[in-house]
Amino acid sequence: MAIDRQTQLVSQGDCWVGRFSAMASDCEVLMHVNDESLAGKLLNVAATEAWRIEQKYSRYREDSIVSRINSADGESTEVDAETAQLLDFAFQCYELSGGLFDISSGILKQAWPFSSSSTQPSHALIESLLPLIGLEKTQWLAPYLTLPAGMQIDFGGIGKEYAVDRTLGLLSGLSDAPILVNFGGDIVCNKGPSSDSPWRIGIEDAEIQDEAQQLLELTSGALATSGNTKRYLISNGIRYGHVLNPITGWPIEAAPLSITVAEGNCTRAGMLATFAMLQGENAESFLDQQEVKYWVAR
Amino acid sequence: MQLKQPKGKINNLLAVAACSLLNQTGSAQEVPGWYIDSAVLGYSEKDRVDAIEPVVSATRVFEDGRKLNLTFVADSLTGASPNGATISNAPQTFTRPSGLGIYTTEAGDLPLDDTFKDSRTALSAQYDFPLNRLTRLSTGLSYSDEYDYTSVGFNATLARDFNLKNTTLSVGFAFANDTMDPEGGIPVPLASTALPWNQQRQGDEEDKTVLDFLVGVTQVINRQTLMQFNYSYSQQDGYLTEPFKLLSLVDGTTGETSGYVYDSRPDTREKHSLYWKTKYSRDNGDIIDVSYRYLWDDWDIASHTIDGRYRWNVSDKFYVEPHIRYYNQQEAGFFAHSLVAGQALPIDASADYRLGAFNGVTIGSKFGYRLNDRSEINVRVEAYEQQGDTVGNPIGVQNNYDMFPDLEATIIQIGYSYRF
Repeated sequence: MAIDRQTQLVSQGDCWVGRFSAMASDCEVLMHVNDESLAGKLLNVAATEAWRIEQKYSRYREDSIVSRINSADGESTEVDAETAQLLDFAFQCYELSGGLFDISSGILKQAWPFSSSSTQPSHALIESLLPLIGLEKTQWLAPYLTLPAGMQIDFGGIGKEYAVDRTLGLLSGLSDAPILVNFGGDIVCNKGPSSDSPWRIGIEDAEIQDEAQQLLELTSGALATSGNTKRYLISNGIRYGHVLNPITGWPIEAAPLSITVAEGNCTRAGMLATFAMLQGENAESFLDQQEVKYWVAR
Repeated sequence: MQLKQPKGKINNLLAVAACSLLNQTGSAQEVPGWYIDSAVLGYSEKDRVDAIEPVVSATRVFEDGRKLNLTFVADSLTGASPNGATISNAPQTFTRPSGLGIYTTEAGDLPLDDTFKDSRTALSAQYDFPLNRLTRLSTGLSYSDEYDYTSVGFNATLARDFNLKNTTLSVGFAFANDTMDPEGGIPVPLASTALPWNQQRQGDEEDKTVLDFLVGVTQVINRQTLMQFNYSYSQQDGYLTEPFKLLSLVDGTTGETSGYVYDSRPDTREKHSLYWKTKYSRDNGDIIDVSYRYLWDDWDIASHTIDGRYRWNVSDKFYVEPHIRYYNQQEAGFFAHSLVAGQALPIDASADYRLGAFNGVTIGSKFGYRLNDRSEINVRVEAYEQQGDTVGNPIGVQNNYDMFPDLEATIIQIGYSYRF
């Protein structure tokens, strides 16, 4: 996969906006700094970090840690400290979600290629994939991870939010100016642009694409969204969403189109949005219990 | 792994998990390498026992989380220890426990056996390894040897994490077998020291076994607070008597000493202990550590221990850790300062002050200085004061004396830790 290694820096009023592409998303960094060279430096740090994480955890690069784990063919793979932390987190999320959030469930996409097919997969195909899903089948004893042959993992459900938080962490270490990091709608900021003004962020409504339907204000913390309204399939008159249940192999019934959650950091917000999505029709009641601010589009 | 549908509020647990991921240092995993801890402890009781105890401990933490610890302790004790006899209004003469020689205590003085001299070496090895992501097993062997006492033990503890590693359950046991062969042989319990030597002694060697069981829960309450509860049960069997301790036989009216008998204790002891500890990390990095232990046994001993520490990080390199400990003990059912001559002897009796009723207070502080990333030097200075309570009513001349004199001790420890 070719990576576009370009960055672009423009001035918008008293705010510098840096843009680049990473993780199949449009990424931007908003910086309330006076100095263009500082803005350029911060943008460079942000892009470098996003690209680093993208490369390190890409499933498409043969030399990535994820590829090494997935091609180990039943052998154990020794992982570095950062990957160990991500694996710890992934296992904790697996437990917390009762097995619904599972970084080994990506293989189900073989049966549910929402973009290219409009037919429902056969039960037999799904049944054949299920034995290869479930973190309880793996052995994780830091720093060694062992997957049964044929099983695969990916950090798709964690990586972008993690990158957003990591990036803000790095930038905050270099400047105490107000900064907002936005990687494809997963957003975190350190503070409002000035003491009395928040960042204004639009949330896309699932039905009305590309229009800031709801405007919300953010002075600190993060927003993350789970859901992609473009991905679904209709078969026999039933609309199947894109969120798959790794335990059954079938789409979660009555899943919302998208869920946005506000929390202290993007990793947490993203995971709550994902967990809620996996609750299907109970998404809202789940989010109510978590006592977080959220927006659900159905 | 037991999976349940997420019910109720999981956001707090998720917050801890995300925090640990994003801080990267949040994981308590130890850095692989060697850790060497060495210390010399000096313990000095006023007018009684002095002890010097060097300790060297080496821990190897492996990359995969396995941990091996080897500890070596050597201590040497010198000085005088109360032999159990009461203070009298006349000089008292005792035969040394070995049967060779005598020593004399002046009227009005607490009888102390000044032949008290011993050195001990102890070795232990503990191996701690993960069984899977959530379960650890720790097993150990111990051996200690002194002139007339040998102890061999082993232990195992299984710890399992639950609830995103916020809860840890532990179950464990320890077994030890101790053998003693005091010079001069084993005294006959409650035998008079006036008897011919061969009638006072009953063989050369005795042993005892100690079996301990422990169950514990450690719970992360929030990002700053950790709480621990333990219950332990200990079963001792065999020779539990202190062979060198005596009891005075005194006149029922005058309280004057007329002879001595040997200490005698039951041959079983069941102990229970409940332990609670809370550790709280303040935002500035200081740590408050408070614990309480309640211990009771079928000898009717019951004790309370309250312990508090405050770790004050004065700077990046220097810390001060004040420490206070309070101990209160209720005496054993068979504890007596003396027995009345001519009366029927009880089945068990002991005047060993360690089985008596007393309060002990330890106050002190530790001072630590980090020399660099790899090494630290520390000094601990503590004072201990023990105040005994008189059990029962003193008889005659005993009223003129403190039946349970206070004990004062100072503790100084110098330690050095190194990691490579």
